[in-house]
Amino acid sequence: MTAVLRSELVRLGRPRMLAGWFGLMGLFAVMINTVMFGTVSAGSELPPGAPGVALPDLATLTGPDGPVAGVAAASSIFGVVTLSFWAVAVAGDYSSGLIRLLVSAQPHRWRLLGGKVIALMMMTAIATTVAAVVSMAVAVPSAQAAGISTSAWGTDLPPTVAAAWLNTFAALCVWGVLGLALAVITRSSAIAISAGVGYLLVVESLVARMLDGSSHWLLGSTLTALARGGDASLSYPAAVGLGLLYVVVGLTLATAIFTRRDITD
Amino acid sequence: MSAISTAGLTRTFGPVTAVDHLTLDLPASGVIGLVGPNGSGKSTLIRLLLGLVRPTHGTASVLGWSISSPAAYAHRVGALIESPAFVPGLSARKNLLSLVRLRGLRPDRVDEVLAIVGLAGRDAEPVKNFSLGMKQRLGIAAALLPDPELLILDEPTNGLDPAGIVEIRGLLRGLGESGRTVVVSSHLLAEIEAACDYVVVVRFGELIFAGPIAELMARTRSHIDVRAERETDTDRLHGALTAAGWAVTRSGTELRVATEAGGSADINRAAAAAGVTLSSIVIVQDTLEDIFLEMTGTTDGELADRRAAANGGTAR
Repeated sequence: MTAVLRSELVRLGRPRMLAGWFGLMGLFAVMINTVMFGTVSAGSELPPGAPGVALPDLATLTGPDGPVAGVAAASSIFGVVTLSFWAVAVAGDYSSGLIRLLVSAQPHRWRLLGGKVIALMMMTAIATTVAAVVSMAVAVPSAQAAGISTSAWGTDLPPTVAAAWLNTFAALCVWGVLGLALAVITRSSAIAISAGVGYLLVVESLVARMLDGSSHWLLGSTLTALARGGDASLSYPAAVGLGLLYVVVGLTLATAIFTRRDITD
Repeated sequence: MSAISTAGLTRTFGPVTAVDHLTLDLPASGVIGLVGPNGSGKSTLIRLLLGLVRPTHGTASVLGWSISSPAAYAHRVGALIESPAFVPGLSARKNLLSLVRLRGLRPDRVDEVLAIVGLAGRDAEPVKNFSLGMKQRLGIAAALLPDPELLILDEPTNGLDPAGIVEIRGLLRGLGESGRTVVVSSHLLAEIEAACDYVVVVRFGELIFAGPIAELMARTRSHIDVRAERETDTDRLHGALTAAGWAVTRSGTELRVATEAGGSADINRAAAAAGVTLSSIVIVQDTLEDIFLEMTGTTDGELADRRAAANGGTAR
C-alpha cells in the first residue's frame, strides 16, 4: 500500500491540477466570506443559504466560530470541488489508459484503490487547510469592514480552528469518496462530476421538499451538518455516524466493482 | 518451462468470442511474434495473460504461474498494452518515477531505461509534448522498468521512424538473445519476419499457427511473372504455357505462372516455341505477408465472410 501511495503522490503532484484544486478552494473561500459579511454590512438579514451554501446566523459570525464560519458555510461547494478532483484523479486513469499499466504492475487492485484514497485524502487535507487559511484571512478585514465585532474571535482560537478544520476535512473526504465511487462506476470524470453536481443542486433539493425529515439523512445536508459540527436538523454524532456510513457504502461499492470488473479501457 | 502456456483459453464478450479455446505453449527466451488481423483477439489474449481480464473458460500460465494469480509474476513481467499510457501533464521522468515507486524499484532504474530507449535528454519534458514515436519509446521504457523476464509489447514500433524501428528491433533481439522472452504483437509483418524467432498466428481468437518462423517461411512458394514483348501475344503466350501444364493466372498483360524458381528457363523455351518474345521474366518469392493473408483472409470483407461462415450465418 505504501508503494501505491508514493506512486499516487507523484501523479497527483501535477502543478496545474493542484493549482486548480487549491485555487478553487481559495476562490470559494473568498467569495463566501465576501458575500456573508457584505450582506451583513448592507444591513440585510443573512439568507438561509442557497444550493451548496448554508449561511450562519449573525450570532455565529460574532462568536468564537466567526473566523471559520465561512468554511462550514461553503462546505458543500468545497465538497463539489473535492468530488470533482477525486473523480478526475480516478477516471483519468481510465481515459488515459494508465489503468492497464497500473493493474498489470500491481494486480492487488484493492491496494491500488486504497493507496489512491489515502493519497487523495492527503491532498484533501491540504485543500482544507487552504480553504481555512484563506477564509480566516478574508474574514478579519471583511468583518471589520462590515462593522461586526470580532472581540470573541480570539477565544479558544486553536481548538475552534482545529475543530472546524477536522469537521470540514471529514465532510470533504465523504464528498471525495462519492466522487471516487462515481468515477469507478462510470469510468468518466465528466459523468461522475455531472452526477455529483446534479445530485447536490437538483435531486437533493427536490427530495428534501418531497420527503419530510429527509434532511436528517440526505447526503448534502448530512455533510453540511458534519462540517458545521452539527446543526438544528442533525446532531454532530448523528452526522458523524451517517458520514461514516456513506464512506463505508461508497468504498465498498467502489472496491467491489474495481476488483471484479475487467480492465478493457 | 514454457514462458506462456494456455489450455482451452476462452474469453467471450456477449455474443463475441474474442479468444476461442486457445491452446499453445510459447518457449522461454527469444522473440515471439503474435500476429493476426484486426479483431483477432491479440489484445484480449495479452490482457488475459496480464490479469486485466479473466477467462470465461480454460486456463493459462505465465512463467509457471496461473493467470488467476497475476501478483505472483507481475514483478517479472513488463508490458506495453495497446498504446502507451501516461499522465500527459507530467514529465517522462515523473511518469516513470511513479511506476518505479509502484513496483518498489530503485529510482535510478528510471535513468537506465531512459538511456536504453534514447530519451535520456528529453526526460524533463511533459509527455503531452512528445511525438507518437517518443511516447512509444517511453512506453517501452516503462515496460523495461522491472528488468522483466517476459516482455509483452503491443505494436512496439508504432509511430517510430525507420531508424527508430531498426533501433527497437535491435533492442528486442538483444533482449531475446539474453534469455528473456519478448512477445511482440504487430501488424508489421516484415517487422515480425525480421525480429522474431517464433510466431503465433491467430484469427477470430483461434490459433492458426504456432511455431518457429523458419517453419512458417518454409511454406513460402515462388511464382514467375512473365510479360510478352507485344501485348497482342499475351493470349498466345497464355495458351502455350497452359498447354505446357502450368497453372497460369492473368492480370492485364502480366501472366503469373505457379512454378519453382528453376522453371524460368522452361517458360522461356515454351514462349519461344510459341513464337512469343518475352519482355520480362521475374521470379517472385512469397513473403510472410502472403502466407499471413492466405491464412487469415485478404480483406476485411473476406474476413467478415469467413467469420459469418464460421458462425453458420450469412455473409455480408
